[in-house]
Amino acid sequence: MENKIQANNLTFYYGDVPAVRDVSLSVKKNSVLALIGPSGCGKSTFLRCINRMNDIIPGSRAEGDILIDGESIYHRKYDVTGLRRRVGMVFQKSNPFPKSIFENIAYGLKINGVRDRYEIEGIVDSSLKSTGLWEEVKDRLGESAMGLSGGQQQRLCIARTIAVQPEIILMDEPASALDPISTQKIEELIQDLKANYTIVIVTHNMQQAARVSDYTAFFYLGELIEVNGTEKIFTRPDLQMTENYITGKFG
Amino acid sequence: MTTHLEQELEAIKRRVFEMADLAIESVAKAVESLKKGDTRAAKEIVGNDSRLDRLEVEIDEECIRLLVTRQPAAVDLRFVLAMLKINTDLERIGDLASNIACETIRQEGRPSLKPLVDIPRMSEIAVRMIRGAFQSMTEMNAEAARVVIESDREMDDLNLQVYRELFSYMAEKPEIISQALGLIMAAKALERIGDHATNIAERIIYYIEGIDIRHLEE
Repeated sequence: MENKIQANNLTFYYGDVPAVRDVSLSVKKNSVLALIGPSGCGKSTFLRCINRMNDIIPGSRAEGDILIDGESIYHRKYDVTGLRRRVGMVFQKSNPFPKSIFENIAYGLKINGVRDRYEIEGIVDSSLKSTGLWEEVKDRLGESAMGLSGGQQQRLCIARTIAVQPEIILMDEPASALDPISTQKIEELIQDLKANYTIVIVTHNMQQAARVSDYTAFFYLGELIEVNGTEKIFTRPDLQMTENYITGKFG
Repeated sequence: MTTHLEQELEAIKRRVFEMADLAIESVAKAVESLKKGDTRAAKEIVGNDSRLDRLEVEIDEECIRLLVTRQPAAVDLRFVLAMLKINTDLERIGDLASNIACETIRQEGRPSLKPLVDIPRMSEIAVRMIRGAFQSMTEMNAEAARVVIESDREMDDLNLQVYRELFSYMAEKPEIISQALGLIMAAKALERIGDHATNIAERIIYYIEGIDIRHLEE
């Protein structure tokens, strides 16, 4: 399987302080990579480097590089807007627009220049179906998205993300504020989405990492300690440090 | 400060070691009873078996509870999985020791066909294997566990030797067939105990190194 994402010696600074140090790893196409590690270990910073979300933070800068399909996304002529279309993101707290369910998904299409009403309707339908929301909201597409439950809002955000047909989806603790049933739906969704997308997920829940991911990367103090197959990491990690973390013998 | 998880893992370990001590005692005493024709000691061993059965159930329950409530990973997960299986091996060893003791009872104190040499030797090796396996776990020494596995061949050879010897005895004196078959059964039980000790050592290697070495030779 080919590498979709390749980080080469990536170091990311907030001011003078490196939050991510010299990280090199690759993510295979149509796989799920989970990033785990204690708070402040740099996993979210690394995640946000993949679609250059950190660019907007004053005084921050990146060294090294990230390639997507072999192309450097940190090249100064790289189209960042296009990058964010290719690399969608879902956050910890669901953030639907204060608009109707339909408009939430149609919005991204419209600003991307899709004008055909039937095409938009078709994509709204298919996005809602692939996130399992369709049956729950099909009779109230015109109602405000703010009226949905937390779990539904989060799935709506995922539907909104996939509506613009990205290649990669970044998820920053997408289920940490959800109840177990909604969490399970999100986790199953991740497994389903893998067929069409490459997914990188940050999670504090190690069982979740074990359940949803194919590969797991353990970060500590800004460094990548170990990246391995998820089954290997959770049964027989190569490094003692990883073992200490996942068995809770840390700190 | 130890965490609750560590305390619970330690509690399971203590239980399994307690069970191992009981199993070792049963094997040694069963063969001793056979050697001496001591039916009273033999009855005690048969009684001990229910203690092993109870421990097996309790350890299973504790392991399942820990899996459900703590979701252990890596070395902790391997430990629980290994203990669940070792538990079964120890219970089977107890059953086999009990079978040997039943043979003593069946002989009703009749003098042995001949002084027993190979069967007590097998018992010594079996005890050494089980002890060695648990020692390797205490020391987290996978190499020591591999040494235990090597002893199994000795057990197989001795079993075959006992069988051949008694077989020719039976051909000469058909009236001793019943007693000889009892001894063949005892040797076979010890050979099986060696297999279980091998299983235990293999599971300890899995716990320590995370690799499954079962059936690799085949």
